[in-house]
Amino acid sequence: MAITRRAFLKGGAVALVGTAAVPSFLTRAVYGSTAPITGKKRLVVLFQRGAADGLNIVVPHGEQAYYGMRPTIAIPRPSSSQLSAIDLDGFFGLHPSMEAFKPLWDQGHLAIIHAAGSPDDTRSHFDAQDFMESGTPGLKSTEDGWLNRAMQAGDPKQHSPFGAVALSTALPRSLAGKFPAVAISNINDFGVGGRNPNAAPISNTFEAMYAQSVDSVLHGTGQETFEAVKMLKSADPARYTPAPGANYPRGRFGDSLRQLAQLLKADLGVEVAFADIGGWDHHVNEGNTQGQLANLLREFSQSIAAFWNDLGDLGENTVLVSMSEFGRTARQNGTGGTDHGHANVMFVVGGPVRGGKVYGRWPGLEQSQLYQGRDLALTTDFRQVLGEMVYHHLGNRDLATVFPGFQNSPNRFLRILG
Amino acid sequence: MRSNQRLWSWLLLAMVLLSALGLVAEKKKKSKDRANAAAMQMDEQKRAIHVLNRFTFGPRQGDIQRVESIGIDKWFEQQLYPEKINDSALDARLAPLRTLKMKTDELVRNFPPPQVIKAVENGRASIPRDSQEKAIYQAALDRQRQKQEAKQEAAEAQNNPDANANDSGKPRRNGRELEDRMYASLNADSLMSEPPDQRFKDLMKMPPDDMRAVARSLNQQERDRMFEGLTPQQKETLQALVNPQSVVQGELTQAKLLRAIYSERQLDEVMTDFWMNHFNVFINKGPDRYMLTSYERDVIRPHALGKFKDLLVATAKSPAMLFYLDNWQSIGPNSDQARFGGQRPGRGRLRRGPFGMIVYDPPKPRQEQTAQQKAKRPSGLNENYAREVMELHTLGVDGGYTQKDVTELAKVLTGWSIEKPQQGGEFKFDERRHEPGKKKVLGKEFKEGGEGEGVKALDMLAHHPATAHFISKKLAMRFVSDDPPESLVQRMAKTFRDKDGDIREVLRTMYDSPEFWAPEAYRAKVKTPLEFVVSAVRASGADVANPQPLVNQLQKLGMPLYGMQPPTGYSMRADAWVNSAALLNRMNFGLALAGGKLPGIQWNPTVDQNQPPGDAAGALANFETALLDGDVSKQTHATILNQLNDPQAAMRNNVPAAQGTNFRLIAGLLLGSPEFQRR
Repeated sequence: MAITRRAFLKGGAVALVGTAAVPSFLTRAVYGSTAPITGKKRLVVLFQRGAADGLNIVVPHGEQAYYGMRPTIAIPRPSSSQLSAIDLDGFFGLHPSMEAFKPLWDQGHLAIIHAAGSPDDTRSHFDAQDFMESGTPGLKSTEDGWLNRAMQAGDPKQHSPFGAVALSTALPRSLAGKFPAVAISNINDFGVGGRNPNAAPISNTFEAMYAQSVDSVLHGTGQETFEAVKMLKSADPARYTPAPGANYPRGRFGDSLRQLAQLLKADLGVEVAFADIGGWDHHVNEGNTQGQLANLLREFSQSIAAFWNDLGDLGENTVLVSMSEFGRTARQNGTGGTDHGHANVMFVVGGPVRGGKVYGRWPGLEQSQLYQGRDLALTTDFRQVLGEMVYHHLGNRDLATVFPGFQNSPNRFLRILG
Repeated sequence: MRSNQRLWSWLLLAMVLLSALGLVAEKKKKSKDRANAAAMQMDEQKRAIHVLNRFTFGPRQGDIQRVESIGIDKWFEQQLYPEKINDSALDARLAPLRTLKMKTDELVRNFPPPQVIKAVENGRASIPRDSQEKAIYQAALDRQRQKQEAKQEAAEAQNNPDANANDSGKPRRNGRELEDRMYASLNADSLMSEPPDQRFKDLMKMPPDDMRAVARSLNQQERDRMFEGLTPQQKETLQALVNPQSVVQGELTQAKLLRAIYSERQLDEVMTDFWMNHFNVFINKGPDRYMLTSYERDVIRPHALGKFKDLLVATAKSPAMLFYLDNWQSIGPNSDQARFGGQRPGRGRLRRGPFGMIVYDPPKPRQEQTAQQKAKRPSGLNENYAREVMELHTLGVDGGYTQKDVTELAKVLTGWSIEKPQQGGEFKFDERRHEPGKKKVLGKEFKEGGEGEGVKALDMLAHHPATAHFISKKLAMRFVSDDPPESLVQRMAKTFRDKDGDIREVLRTMYDSPEFWAPEAYRAKVKTPLEFVVSAVRASGADVANPQPLVNQLQKLGMPLYGMQPPTGYSMRADAWVNSAALLNRMNFGLALAGGKLPGIQWNPTVDQNQPPGDAAGALANFETALLDGDVSKQTHATILNQLNDPQAAMRNNVPAAQGTNFRLIAGLLLGSPEFQRR
C-alpha cells in the first residue's frame, strides 16, 4: 500500500528540519500547518509521438464507410473472435490488443474523446507536436509549454521540487518554461556522483557551495536540486515495487510509468508528470488486428493499465490524458499503411473521470464529412480537453495564460471530470 | 567659371581634410573615453577575462596574459578578421574528418541513406565501383534485406497464429544470438592483435552480419583499439558498414566541438554558433542530416562577420533551410503546377490546310486538376518559412507584420525549391510553382518578377528598422546580458542601419559602449551547456582525441548539437538552462572530466611543481586560478577546503594520506561550482 505523506514526514523529512534546505510545503506539513498541501492532485500527460492511427485504435465499427476505406487494415466488427474490435457502446470499439483497457472502461475510469486534436492543418509531425506541446497551434514563437504554464499560477515555493516531472533525459517542450521542472530518465541516477559509494560527501560539498552562493539564480535552483535529491533519497522510491497485478510490459514507456508510480507512491509532491511513447508513424504495413500498430497498442495499454493498478488508492486523485500530434488518413494508402491526417482520439483515465463514455461529436466518415476530402474532421479542440484538466483538476483558473488566444471557458468543457 | 570650379574643388578638399581630422580626433576621443570608462569600471585583468568570456568559448590557461600582452583592443580587432589568424593546429585535428569537405550530393552518395539503398534495390541507382564504397552499399543492402525478411516473418506469423503459439522459432533464434556474440568477441580479439592493414582487410572480408556483431560487441576503448593505425577513410568505411548516416552526423558534431575547443579564431566560432542557432535547422528532419555540413561551411560561416543581407539570402536559398521550413514544397495556388499538375503546355502545330493554306492548330488546352487530384500531392502555399523568416530571422515577433503579410510573402517565395532533396541537390527556382501576379508585403508592392521577387523582399526585410533592432538585441543578449540595456541596443541598431547591416561594425559599436564594460555585465551570463562543456575543457587544457563523449554529454545536458527541433533555436537566457536535472548533470560532468572518466579525453589535474605536497589550501588556490582566474567566492573556497581537510571525507574518498591532496576532486568540485556556471 502506498505510504502516506505523514508517514514519510515522520520517517524522512523531519530529519531535514534545521538545515536550510527544507521545502516550504514540507515545513508547513511538519509543523502541523493546516494550510492545504499542494500536490495532492496529479495530472499525467502522455504523448504518442508520430501520429497514432486513431481510427484503428478506437474503431467506429458502426460506420460502413470505415470498412470501405480500409479494405485490408480495418478492425472487424465485434464478434466472438479474439480478432475483432472490443465493443464499447455499440458504435465504437477498442482495438483487440487493448483489452487491458476494458476493465478501466467497465469501471468508469476510462473516457474517450474522438475526433479531437489540434485545429492547425499542418501535417508536419514536427510542427504539430510543437504546436500541441506549446499549447498554441499556429504560433511558433511561444517559448514555453502549456503544462509548465499550468503550474505557473501562485508561488513556486508552494510546490515540491518534484512538482513537475518528465520521465525523459531532456525536458519536453510541454514542460519548458519558468516553473522549475525536473527531467529524470532514471531515478537511480538522479544525484551527484552516480553509484559511487563515496558520493555522499561530494554531494554535500556541492550542496553547501550552492546553499551559500550569493548567485541568486543558481542558489535557488541549487537549493531545489538538493532538496529533490535528498527527498528522493530519503523517500527511497526503489522500495516501492509494483503492486500485485501491476504488470508493466518491457520497454521504455512501461519503464517510465513504473518509475513515475514509484515517485507518486513515495509521496514526493508530484503534481504534473509527462511521459512519451514513439513509433506511431505507420505509413507502411500498419497491420490490422495484429501487426505493428497492434504491438505498440498492447505496450501502450498494458503500461497504462499496470500504472493504474499500481497506484491503488492514489488513483482517486490522479488523471492521465493522452494525445498525439494528428491523426491519419481515413483511407489506407497503397502500402498497407496510412498517411498523415487530421483529427485523432484522446484517452482520459483516472479517479475523477466520468468514464465509460465516448465524448465529442462524431463527424462521420462519408466523403462529404471528411476534412479536405481525406481525414477525420475535428470536432473537439485538444485545448478544450486539457483546459478542463487544468481548471478542474489542477485548480488553475487562468486558462488565458495556459492557452493564450483560445476561447476556453468552463461552459465549453465536455464535462469529462465529475 | 573656371576659377569658380577651382574654388569649389579647394573647398571640397578642405572639407574632406577637415572631416578626416575630425574622424581621427573622434577615434582618439573614443578610445580615450573607453579607457576612462574602463578605468572606472573594470581593471585590466578583469577586462581581459571579460573579453575572453564573451568573445571566446572560455579562457585557456595563459590566455589572460596573452591578451594583456597583445593589448585588449588589438586582440579584439584581430578576432574580427579571422582569416588573418593562423589556425593550422585546428586544421590538423580536423583533417581526418573527411566529410567536412564533401558536397551534399557526395555525402549522400558515399554514405547512402535508406532511400538510396532502396533505389539501388529497385534498379533506379547503381552501386559505386570503388571497393570501399561498394562494401558500404552491399552492407546496407544486406541490412535492408534482413529487415524485410524479419517483417515478412512477422507477417507470416500473424497470418498463421497457430504456428506462433508454440513459439518454436524463438528459442532457436535466442540460441543463435548468444553464439553470434561469442564468436564476435573472439573475432574482435584476434582482429585487434593484427597490424592495421591486415586488420582492415580482414574486416572488409567479413560477411556483413558478422561485422555488425563485432561492432556491437565493442566498447569505446576496444573500438579505439580496433581503429588504431587505420587511415581516416578506412575508419569511416568501417563505421559506414554499420551505419552510413552516422558518419556524416558524427563528424559534423565532433568538428563543432573541436573547433570550439581548439580554434584560434574564437570569435568566428562564437559567431558561427550564434548564426547557426539564429537560423536554426534541425539535423533529424529527413535529408537535413546531409545538408548541415554544407550549411555551416558554405552558408553560415562565410558571412558570420559579414553583411546581414548576404547571410539572410544565403540561408533562404540553402537546401537545408528550404527543406527544414518546407518552402521547397510551397506552390502558388494559381501557378501552373497547382492548376495543371504535371501537364506541360503544348506548342501548337502549323500544318498545310485546304488550298495549300498554312493553318495553325492551337495546343490542346490543359485540364485543370480536380480537387481530389490536388489533395493527393502538395498543391498549395506553405507559409512555414515565410512566417519564420519574419518572426525569427528578421523583424521579430513584434516586428509589425500581419497574417496577410505572411501569406503574401509566401507567394513571393513560391518556386524557391530544391533539385532532388533526397539526393543532396542544390537550390532551384521552379517557375512552374511560382505564383503569378503582383504581391504586397509590408505595404510594398512586388511586381511579377520570378526569383527576383524573393531577393527583393529579403533585401527589404534585411534593411527594415525592426530587423536592425531585433538582431542587435539578440547579439547584446549573447554578448552582454539576458536583458541588455535599451540604450546599448539602440546604438548597435543605429550602426546596423548606417553600415548596411555590417555585423562586424555592430560588434565594434557594442565593444565601444560603456554598457559592455559595466561591472554588472561581468560574469553576468549563465553558460549554456555548450558553453559550459567547452569552457571546462578549455580551462582544463585536456587533450581531446575523441570528442564523442562530449557530444553525448551535451545530449544529456539537454543541448544536443544541431538537435533543436523548433525553429526558435536554443535559448540564450539563464532560465532555460538552470533546472535541477541540468545542474546535477553539470556537477557530474565536472567530476567525470576531472576524474578521467571520459574515454578519449586526457586530463591529469596537477599543480605547480613548487607546491609543497599535502598543502591542500595551496593546491586549491592553484586550481582556482587555473580554472576560474581566481574568481571564487570565499564560501566556495571554504566549503571545498573543508571537504579536503576532513579526514573522514578523505578516507571515504579512498585517498591514502601519502598520496596527498586529491587534485581530481578539487578540479571536479570547482567545475561544478556555482562560479563556473557563469561567464
